[in-house]
Amino acid sequence: MSNYLSVTERETKEMLESIGVKSLDDLFDDIPKDLKLKKLGLPEGKSQQETMEFMRALSKKNKVYDVILRGAGSYDHYIPSMVKNLSSRSEFITAYTPYQAEMSQGILQAIFEYQSMICNLTGMDVSNASVYNGANAAAEAMLMCTERNRRTLITFDNIRPDTLKVLKTYAARREIKVEVLSAKDGAADLKALKAAVGEDTSCVYIEQPNYFGLLEDAEEIGKIAHEAKAKFVMGCNPISLAILRSPAECGADVAVGDGQPLGLPMAFGGPYVGFMACTNKEMRKMPGRIVGETTDHDGNRAYVLTLQAREQHIRREKAFSNICSNQAYCALVVSMYLSAMGPDGMKEVAESCVSYAHYLAAELEKIGLKRRDKGEFFHEFVTVSDIPADKILKALDKAGILGGLKLSANEILWCVTETANKAQLDRAVDVIRRVK
Amino acid sequence: MNLIFEISEPGKRCATIRKPDVGKVSIGKKYLRSEKLDLPEVSEVDFARHYTALSRRAFGVDNGFYPLGSCTMKYNPKINEEVAGLEGFTQIHPLQPESTVQGALEVMETLSGYLAEITGMDAVTLQPNAGAHGEYTGLQLIAAYHAARKDYKRTKVIVPDSAHGTNPASAVMAGFEIINVPSDEEKGVDLKALKEVVGEDTAALMLTNPTTLGLFEKNIKAISKIIHDAGGLLYYDGANLNAVMGIVRPGDMGFDVVHLNLHKTFSTPHGGGGPGSGPVGCKKELAAFLPGPLVAKNARGVYKFTESRKSIGKVASFYGNFGVYVRALAYIVTLGAEGIKSCAQHAVLNANYLKANIEDLYPTEKGRHCMHEFVVSMQELKDKTGVSAMDIAKTMIDRGYHPPTMYFPLIIHEALMFEPTETENKRTLDEVIKALREIYEEAFKDPEYMKAAPHHAQIGRPDEVKAARTPIVRYVKP
Repeated sequence: MSNYLSVTERETKEMLESIGVKSLDDLFDDIPKDLKLKKLGLPEGKSQQETMEFMRALSKKNKVYDVILRGAGSYDHYIPSMVKNLSSRSEFITAYTPYQAEMSQGILQAIFEYQSMICNLTGMDVSNASVYNGANAAAEAMLMCTERNRRTLITFDNIRPDTLKVLKTYAARREIKVEVLSAKDGAADLKALKAAVGEDTSCVYIEQPNYFGLLEDAEEIGKIAHEAKAKFVMGCNPISLAILRSPAECGADVAVGDGQPLGLPMAFGGPYVGFMACTNKEMRKMPGRIVGETTDHDGNRAYVLTLQAREQHIRREKAFSNICSNQAYCALVVSMYLSAMGPDGMKEVAESCVSYAHYLAAELEKIGLKRRDKGEFFHEFVTVSDIPADKILKALDKAGILGGLKLSANEILWCVTETANKAQLDRAVDVIRRVK
Repeated sequence: MNLIFEISEPGKRCATIRKPDVGKVSIGKKYLRSEKLDLPEVSEVDFARHYTALSRRAFGVDNGFYPLGSCTMKYNPKINEEVAGLEGFTQIHPLQPESTVQGALEVMETLSGYLAEITGMDAVTLQPNAGAHGEYTGLQLIAAYHAARKDYKRTKVIVPDSAHGTNPASAVMAGFEIINVPSDEEKGVDLKALKEVVGEDTAALMLTNPTTLGLFEKNIKAISKIIHDAGGLLYYDGANLNAVMGIVRPGDMGFDVVHLNLHKTFSTPHGGGGPGSGPVGCKKELAAFLPGPLVAKNARGVYKFTESRKSIGKVASFYGNFGVYVRALAYIVTLGAEGIKSCAQHAVLNANYLKANIEDLYPTEKGRHCMHEFVVSMQELKDKTGVSAMDIAKTMIDRGYHPPTMYFPLIIHEALMFEPTETENKRTLDEVIKALREIYEEAFKDPEYMKAAPHHAQIGRPDEVKAARTPIVRYVKP
């Protein structure tokens, strides 16, 4: 057993004497005796070696696939060694929120750099230091846009199901309505949107690419929102932003998304990181930490947590959001990934995703798995076929391939990233071809 | 030091990827970005030096004494990092078939069970991503509980004036109104004031115990009775569980809902501000409302996701911060029942040792043992010398220590909140005691010097007013 204590029995005795008590129990005399626990019903402790064996055995009960053709909100990308290596420095891992700027310039500067990169990626003016994940970023954006008389968020049934669920939870007790319109051919139906927006609309929320991988006519959607004096919130896959029109170019007021594709492993769904960026106009309504540049009393450049008057520790019940701890370490990893890739590397990753995904789509088409939707797509697409999805996925699983996500009995949502190669994709197609 | 943008040189490359071996496909022009993608361009050695330099300007638990009260900056065991990095945990997709992630589900089910035992609750969700997120989730459960009983008039949440700012902020996000209740002379909840504000509209009381003053709420049984008699529920803010785990359980104290902070109590790293994890436990009457999916083990020993139809819905993507659960589980299985308890005992021992040896100069609540932390008021010193709690904190930086939490809780003037945690060693505590006593003397000898501290840090005191008035929140190319 190890409990990571750092005092010996002799020292414990000295310390108790110094305090003026006889035993450790005496320190707990404020706790009513009848409430005290006799014994915790947990197993005995383990040595560190046993813990390692125990945890390794658990990890081995999970199947690691050779090829992953599934996305739907969690994406398998190559993570550069220098990102893993430098981010594992314990000064980063074991620090907390940089409340003391004078000894935390490294953390503050890293967040400032992250904010700058998110701004550049999205084209927006201001980014916060992160929120929990992409779904929560969308929910926080919804709260940001809600006004006294504008309390309806309009979206489509082609956003990520988890995002929709979280939006609904956050709307539930705030007299906010989440109106979900039906997509047409998988994409946002602009006609329906035009008819739906009105003076009670707070914002229009779409995802680009959407859940089915399709590209939306984001600029038009933004215009429709703005004509109704509503805000336009765009959820983005950050890898796609290397080549796709930025939220700013599409007229977004708030850009959000999940930063997981930027250097974070899939890790069974987390920890990921929600990014949030907005226009200058919305800056003071943005939730979460924001790092700003200033000077110290000698005029040296310095970074501090700023605009804190928005936050819960100052405003308490009047704060815009309750967020305190965020996903700072994941944001650091994201900024390292973006620095390691640079503009050219990011573009190469995005283009590689597009090329491989389109290759697989074309090959699947040849064997009868036709694309369900007509529109252009990034690195995800939906197929329909006569062969049941379950049969296809089972066959792939046997071959060590995690196939796409089953959407219905005959529909599969596929995702291909730069981690794929032609031989693997051909192998997957070959396996499916044999499915009867 | 330079920003990474300032060392960027067009044409430099760092990470590289394989060229696709299929034909290049392009997306329609109307979707393509025309705005330049302005990201840093650095070489690998530039990259390594930049982030190493940043890390040297960061201060973590591995760097030294970090008594940041209310944050439980205990040591983060290295083994936890290694196990969380095992391929079987990092390289699994959240939407893999259940049969292929039995190990991951077992991690979640086992950890949930251990946390239920530690808190005395019947059911646990791991989904919330941080403490405040847990508070929000817990309050949604409470709202759902009252609504299910058609008890719609319970619109108010009572919050003590010593509470964390997240408590009232979370309650508002969950659609409640806030009633603040003052503290009594012993810094506990003022029972008389509490009786006056409870009633048919009370949904819940949110309480941290030990309180944010590091004192055990002695009247907890009376408080529990007042709230429950009025039909309300009792919410436990688990920020300070480290002081009492294995010794007394929130469930046995009368709490109905609790959130924990795995990044405080269960040793998972704080990461410069996150990721945390804020599991929520509740009594069986509220279990049906927990956010799904939850993990259950069936009769054949197979782990399955389940979801209650009455669930409040999801509060985060997928299943929350899974990587954090792996670390917390490794911690709990290492410690076991006895280890958990001894952590609490030694957290309290360390805090009391520090307190006993400075309280003649750094006044705190008299005549009582503190729990895992204590709050001193520097008002008297400030009146005498002009040296504030802030000046003391900044002087500590010059001596290589992270300062305690400053100016919280709000009910103590010139507050400094010390939480040394159980992993601190005696030698460091003795050095800190000596340093704090010297700092106190310095306040009389050279107050002006202290008011300008720190003198040997990365920067001098930053101009925060300027930062807020003319915000520069991103790098812009000159």
